[in-house]
Parts: sequence; structure tokens; C-alpha cells
Amino acid sequence: MNFDDVAIIDTDVLVIGGGTAGPMAAVTVKERYPDLDVTLLEKANVKRSGAISMGMDGLNNAIVPGHATPEQYVREITIANDGIVHQPALMAYAQRSYPMIEKLDSWGVHFQKDETGDYDMKKVHHLGTYVLPMPEGHNVKKILYRRLRRHRVKVENRYQATRLLKDTAGNVSGMIGINTRTAEPIIIRAKAVVMATGAAGRIGLPHSGYLFGTYENPANSGDGHAMAYHAGADLANLECYQVNPLLKDYNGPACAYVTGPLGGFTSNAFGERFIECDYWSGQMMLEFFKELESGKGPVFLKLDHLAEETIQEIETVLHTNERPSRGRFHDGRQVNYRKRMVEMHISEIGFCSGHSASGVWVDETGATTVPGLYAAGDMASVPHNYMLGAFVYGQICGESAADFAQQRSEFELDKTLIEKELIRLRAPLERADGIPPEQMEYKVRRLVNDYLQPPKVSRRMEIGLERILSVRADLPLLKAGDAHELMRAMEVHSIVDCAEMAARASLYRTESRWGLYHYRVDFPETDEQQWFCHSRLYKDESGAMASGTRPIAPYIVSLGEDKDAYNQLRVKQAANA
Amino acid sequence: MPIANHHSAVPVTVDADKCIADKGCTVCIDVCPLDVLWIDESTGKAHMKYDECWYCMPCEADCPTDAVTVNIPYLLR
Amino acid sequence: MNAFDDPELQELADRLASPDPGLRRVAVLDLVDCPEPEAVTLLIQALRDPDPQVRQEAAKVVDEFESEDMADALIAALNDSDEVVRNAAAHALSDLKDPAAAKPLLAALEESRDPFVVAGILRALKSLREPAAREPALARLNAADPGVRREAVGLLGWLKEESNLPALIDRARDDDDAEVRRAAVGALVYAEPASVAEALRYVVGDPHWQVRAEAMNSIGKLHHQDSLPLLIEATRDNTWQVREKAADAIGKLGRVEGIPALGECSRDAMSNLRKAAIGALGAIAHEQCRPYIQTALDDPDPDVRKLARWAQSKLSAA
Ligand SMILES: Cc1cc2nc3c(=O)[nH]c(=O)nc-3n(C[C@H](O)[C@H](O)[C@H](O)COP(=O)(O)OP(=O)(O)OC[C@H]3O[C@@H](n4cnc5c(N)ncnc54)[C@H](O)[C@@H]3O)c2cc1C
Ligand code: SF4
Ligand code: SF4
Repeated sequence: MNFDDVAIIDTDVLVIGGGTAGPMAAVTVKERYPDLDVTLLEKANVKRSGAISMGMDGLNNAIVPGHATPEQYVREITIANDGIVHQPALMAYAQRSYPMIEKLDSWGVHFQKDETGDYDMKKVHHLGTYVLPMPEGHNVKKILYRRLRRHRVKVENRYQATRLLKDTAGNVSGMIGINTRTAEPIIIRAKAVVMATGAAGRIGLPHSGYLFGTYENPANSGDGHAMAYHAGADLANLECYQVNPLLKDYNGPACAYVTGPLGGFTSNAFGERFIECDYWSGQMMLEFFKELESGKGPVFLKLDHLAEETIQEIETVLHTNERPSRGRFHDGRQVNYRKRMVEMHISEIGFCSGHSASGVWVDETGATTVPGLYAAGDMASVPHNYMLGAFVYGQICGESAADFAQQRSEFELDKTLIEKELIRLRAPLERADGIPPEQMEYKVRRLVNDYLQPPKVSRRMEIGLERILSVRADLPLLKAGDAHELMRAMEVHSIVDCAEMAARASLYRTESRWGLYHYRVDFPETDEQQWFCHSRLYKDESGAMASGTRPIAPYIVSLGEDKDAYNQLRVKQAANA
Repeated sequence: MPIANHHSAVPVTVDADKCIADKGCTVCIDVCPLDVLWIDESTGKAHMKYDECWYCMPCEADCPTDAVTVNIPYLLR
Repeated sequence: MNAFDDPELQELADRLASPDPGLRRVAVLDLVDCPEPEAVTLLIQALRDPDPQVRQEAAKVVDEFESEDMADALIAALNDSDEVVRNAAAHALSDLKDPAAAKPLLAALEESRDPFVVAGILRALKSLREPAAREPALARLNAADPGVRREAVGLLGWLKEESNLPALIDRARDDDDAEVRRAAVGALVYAEPASVAEALRYVVGDPHWQVRAEAMNSIGKLHHQDSLPLLIEATRDNTWQVREKAADAIGKLGRVEGIPALGECSRDAMSNLRKAAIGALGAIAHEQCRPYIQTALDDPDPDVRKLARWAQSKLSAA
């Protein structure tokens, strides 16, 4: 099939990824300019796609007046993130967080309220108060879907975007992809594109060995990261992995945010608390990891000291929202919160700004480094964004993309890109035999675990990179038996891209930072002289994967005199915030 | 390279007696984020075609006839 | 049968008129994907389908539509013979955000006797913060069904009107049902503290620990200085969760007289309580707190140690 055989769909603003940030972006465009044509393209089905498919337990980062201020929040995230943040982007989130809660509330999202109807904020630690539970949060996706219908956003379900398109001047101008059930290619020409494809959650392999037992929704295979990279966008701080505490063998979060306010906690084998760090951060994960490996390990979720009423409350939330198969998992192992602590472990690695800090670089307007391309949610570089950040940046990107589309003049698509992509998309179906996607995926993800997981060792990562590149050389051997396997094959391309990015980014930053996330055994110190900067990863003119640095924009909320004040704040007087 | 067949036990079961796919229902198939539920050509009912499950449960929660049961995949049990 | 311009909608309407209930049921499922606002009329029709399974299906998807457009149908569905339908309708009603929905809800409330229906309507009126709901809510405070009383308390709490306090105090003190008492105690926080002082003195002695814990919470939120002796007393409660909330609240009041009791709590076996105590001592930040904070710097629990460091810095700042 050639370029001329594929019908081109035209739209004003294209949103790729219909999970959390994507629907918000699409609705925002329509709210701003009802006449603009908006298309939302989703690999699964927007009704139940993405991280919040079954709802969410609560907001981890709500900045509600009277409980926390935007300045306080920016300061704390700066500290939690060892200073490497773009503060204007954090501030944009912080200022819009409360209006967004109000908007979601008016749409019918259920947040927990007290007996007088005020938001029932919970203090998880003695720093700011940011947690707003939503025990009846199952309906978030339904509400988003309702909004999409009301604004008549065009929804294209079961399409996987595989490459972004450009015009002859280098602006992003749409995308090409495939229907995941028919393998038909699709080309959409758009005046502006918002990407919201979520985390890169299938880089590492869960300890169980089950490819789809990942922390992140496995549909989030890093396609967005790969597409942005190939379109020439900068990615930032990819060495700052996401690693999360989880129940052992079950990919449900251990829920400091659900059980914490009710008195549960993370303990060692002796039922004692051990975490010294105040912030949800790599530092905390490092303590977790060390305890896990120590004589006091493994680590547990301790609830057995709580009252029956409290445990029932916890069970109702944990077993109905977010990850509802959790109860079934416990039943299978005869685990009862009342009687026994629940074993915990750490997740595989991933790229996710929702919980950590890495992703496609965006500024406070959601703009990437490529004109016409915006990114929101877990794939974009604004740290610790979680669900509310995905909504806020979905909104910001919707506004920016709508404005860009409004003033964009006529353009011509770059056809060579499309021809090349059509060949790549066809190849796995045309081979008579070869390597099934599952096998290649298993191999590269196993390599990531063996060579790239922290603690990071330089020589080991170099070998890892070599091995990952040898899998890359095998990509042309991918064989797909049907359209479904073709989707998986294209995901393997993204996974290999992300694995290579993880290796190169980790090797580039020759220091340790962000606790466990970038703990380099042979560079154990944090080097403020050389590395107080963002790292960049991008495709250079020759098409090779390159690294560089980007200076930290001047802080708008100061931490004190020193530029590494965050460090002292955290270590010496962690509690004094 | 030639390709072998390989078997695995899948976590999701569909009660064919309850399933009303023959009336046009495709709810579970529509909502699955990983697109692993399909109509079984031989029975006309829904079934799990690929062992690629996140045990996230929309298929079970949204099925109008309670025909779907999501179990934890064997490797994790 | 309705006729629609939109072909998709017409096709759905035809299927909803099929004699086969199975086909009607699946048509309801497809309604959800229809962007036409008139789809809601078909949904309302399905809510009245003779077949209970079709009605159930319609009820399950009501929350996919804007409740505003079908308040009447939802209220009618509250009386459905099928429990699934009733539940779904009650749930969807509480999502109503349109003040105009208050009128039909109030009318329905007047006519309703079934406790389930009454509770559902009260919950819906609560989120509308409809002042005219006050009278009927007050009247339901003595309903036989605790679920109804609980929703009536909730409604009055959300109204935040001073004149409703005596009735809420009544429920907080004397209701037979612990959850009603707890909710009423939680609702008192909008009061002028002195006006509920007497009630608070009473409810701290409630037999149920969750009511007592809620009382501690409310005292803290109210900053009710005169309740300090109650809080100190409660730091010796049998249930550690109550002791924890009492310590929290003493910190909020910031009173030096509470220090010895907090000091006692800072030696409790339950680390959650030690945390709360040290947190409160830090909030008070008085010289007399120092020895307890000093000791807590070596607490076996890192959360307590962290708080002790913070509390110490507050002391030096003071
Ligand atoms: C298990 C879990 C628990 C969490 N708990 C909380 C919590 O309690 N509180 C909180 O605030 N946050 C929580 N989070 C984080 C929060 O859910 C996420 O940060 C947020 O939902 C991310 O939104 P997103 O839009 O970036 O990604 P998602 O909502 O995941 O959406 C990404 C979408 O992109 C689609 N997609 C992917 N690739 C392609 C492609 N190539 N083409 C087209 N579409 C594609 C996917 O199918 C998906 O629908 C949790 C996350 C997880 C995974
Ligand atoms: S949702 Fe239930 S009834 Fe419908 S196709 Fe799936 S299993 Fe069958
Ligand atoms: S549990 Fe989730 S991934 Fe598994 S079949 Fe059901 S919807 Fe699909």
C-alpha cells in the first residue's frame, strides 16, 4: 500500500491517547473554540482506557486553599526532586489544581467531603496537606466520556499511533498509525497535536515474569516517548526512572495514600517503620530497597493493628476502586489484613512523570521542543503530576494546541516520512516466519532488568546497551500473525527505543541523584557543580541518539541561599518545611 | 525462524450460557484495554484469545449478564 | 414511538421497540455511545421497559448521561420494583448539580414513604444545598430508619445554618444509631463553638469509639478552647484511635496545659499515637515540651523521630 492509497483524515486538533489527560485536552479545545474539529485517537477504548480505567483512590497532590499554597507545593516538589525541576511548570500546575478540582466536582466526580460538604483533606505527613480521598471515584472515566460526547469530539478507538507526521517546514502535522483489529493504516492530518499516551510502563519485566503484570496499564508501552523522539523532540531526565513500592507479585500500589491517613504503614519484618525520608521520592525508594535487602527485610504493609471498622473501610476502597482484583489476589493466598502483614516489593522500572520526573520535555504551556506538538500527563516531563496533573496539563495543552491550530496556515505533508512508515508497518505481516513479538519483548525487558535496574553499575549498563542494540538489529525479523500481533510488534519497536534511552540517559549522568532512581554505584556522590541541570536526550542530525544538558530555569520559589539547599533541607531538617 | 505453537492457561473465563454475544453484545470486548477478548468463531460467545491480561476487571464489571470472571494469572497467584 | 432525524438514534429506537427483550437490552448498552442529546429520551423509555432486565441495564447506564435531563424519570425509578434499578437511580440522583432539580425532588420527597427512596432523595438534595429542604429534613430526623436519619443529618450539615444546630445536637447525643451520632458530631463544626460546648461535653463519653474520635476531630476543627479538659481526659481513652485524635486536637488548640498529657502519650506503645503526640507538642512549641521532644529524638520509630526533629526546630524558632 502506498501513500496515495490511504485516505487522509483531516482535523484541527488531534489528541493521541484517551486515558486521563487526553480526554481533558480534547474537551478543553472544544470549550475554547467550539468550531474547531477535534479527534481523539485511542489504542484501546476511551470508555475504559489508561491508568484510571476503574477509577482512582484519591488525589495525591491536591492544593486546596486553607490546606496548602502553590508556593509551598512548588517548594516541596523541588526538594523531593533534588532541585532538578522546571519551577514555572510546577507553578502552573499548582495554581490550576484547585480550579480543576472544582471543575471535576461540578462534572460529578466524587471527592470525599466532610459532614458539612467541605473537601475532607488528609494529612499524610506533617508537611503540607495534599491528599484528598475519593473512595467513590469509580466514575471518573464515565464522566469524561460524557463530556466527550457532549462536545462531539470525534473518537477513534482501537487505533495505535506509530509515528508523528511533519510538514515540509518541520512542524508536527498529524500522525500515522494502524487499526489494531484490521491492521489498516490510518493517516490523520492535524494543525496541532497533543500527545497523552501515558507512561512507558513496559520497559522492565515484573518479578513474576508475566509480561502484562506491570505497574502501569500495559497499553502504555512507551509509544509516545518513541514517537516524540523520532519527531525530533527533546526528552528530559530519563535516567530518573520510576520505581514504585508494590505488593509482592501484585501490581497494586501499597497505598501509603489510602492506608496512611487511616493508620496503616510500611514496615520491616519486625513490624517497625523504617522510612526516614519525608517525600515520596527516589530517596524513599532507596530506603525501601535497602531495607528489603537487609536482615530486617522484606518489607510489609502493616494493617493488623487497626480496628475492624477501619480495616473494613480500607478493604472497601482497595478492593473496589483502582485495582479491584486485589481482593481476589489476597484470597488466593489466604491473606487477611487483620491477621497478617502483607509482603511488599518494588516494581519494575519505567518512565513516568506521574510518580517520578522523566519524560518528553514540556514547558509551562505544555509545548515540546517541536512546533505544533504538545504533551501532557505521565509522558511529559512535569514531575509528580499524578492524576490531577494529567488533568491540568491536559487542559493546558488543549488551550495551547487550540491556539496554535487557530493561527496555523496551510501546509504540505512530508510524504517520504509516510512512505517509510508504511513499509515499517507492513513488514511484520509480510514475513513468512520470524520472531514473534512476545519473544522479542521478553528478551529486551529481561535485559533491562539484568543490566539497567538500579543500583546502576557503569560497565554493566554498557554491556546492557550493547545487548539492547543487538535486539534492535533483530527488529526486522519481527513476525506478526494477525493485526493484534502487529500492534504488539509495533510496541516492541517502542520498547526497544525506550530501553536504549534508559541505558544512554543513565550512562550520561555521571553522578547519583534521586535516590534509588539514579543510584550509580561507581558515582555514588551527587555532583552539584557539574550536574545541577536537566539532561536532554534527542535525535541528532545524523539520526543518532544523543545526550546533552539544559540549564535549570531560575527558581520562582526560592529554597534559600544555596543552590543545593534542597539537599540540606531534606537531610538535616527534613521535617522543617 | 519457524514458529512453534505454545499453550498457556488464560486468567479470564466467560460463562457461555450467560453470555449474550449472540444478541449483539460486545461490551467486554469493547472495554478491554489490551484487546484480548474476542468472539469465539465456533461458539459465537466471548472468550479470551490472548494471554495478555492486566486483571483490571472492566470486562467483568461491565458485562450485563455477569458472565465474565477475572482470575489472577497463574504466574502471580 | 418517537421518530428521530438522526439515523443512528432511529436505529436504536427501532431496536428498543423489538419484541425480544435480549435485543432491547443490548440496544440500551449501545445508547451510551450515541452523542445525540435526545438519546436520553430513549433511556427514559428504557427505564420504563416492561422487562426488569432491560430496566436494570438502563439503570446501570444512567450515570453515563446528564442527570439534569432525566430527574423526573430517576425519581420515578426510585420506586421501581427492582432493587438494582432503585439503587442506580438513587446514585444518579445524587449527581444532580442543577438547582432546578430541587423542586421535583422536594415534591417527590413529600410523597415518599419508602426509607430507601427517602434517603436517596435527601442525598440528592444535600449536594444541591437547597434551603427549602430544611423543613422536610428536620421532619425526617425522627424517621424510624437509621439510613434516612443519617441522610437528613447530612443534608442539614451541608446547609450550615445556625438554626439547625439544636436538632443536630439532639441526634449527636441521643440517636440509637452510632453512624447517625457520628455524622451529627461531624456536622457540628460549622457552629459558633460556645453553642455546641455542652453537646461536645456529652458526646466525648459516647460508647462507640468512632463517635468519640469524631468528637475529638470536631473540637480540633472548632478550636474550642474550653474543651481542653475533655481532650486531656480523652488522651487516656481505651481506644488508641481516640487518644490519637485527642492529641491532634490539643495541638490544634496550642495549649500549654495539655503538655503533660501529651508527654504521657509520647510514651505510648502505639507509635501512631506517639506521632500524634510529638506533632502536637511541636505545634505548641513551648519550653515545657522540650524533654519529651528530646526523648523522642531517639524513638525507635522513624516517623516519630522525624517529627521530633521538626518539633525541635519549632522550639528553637519560638
Ligand atoms: C495503578 C495506579 C494507581 C494510581 N493511583 C493514583 C492515585 O491514587 N492518585 C493519583 O493522583 N494518581 C494515581 N496514579 C497516577 C495517575 O493515574 C496517572 O498519573 C494519570 O492517570 C496519567 O494520565 P495519562 O493521561 O498520562 O495516562 P493514561 O491515563 O494512562 O492514558 C494513556 C492513554 O494512551 C493510550 N495509548 C498509549 N499508546 C498509544 C498509542 N500508540 N496510540 C494511541 N493511544 C495510545 C493508552 O491506551 C491510554 O488510554 C496511579 C496510576 C496507576 C497506574
Ligand atoms: S459482556 Fe458479557 S454478555 Fe457481553 S459479550 Fe462479553 S461476556 Fe458476553
Ligand atoms: S481484566 Fe482487564 S485486561 Fe484482562 S481481559 Fe478483562 S479488561 Fe482485559
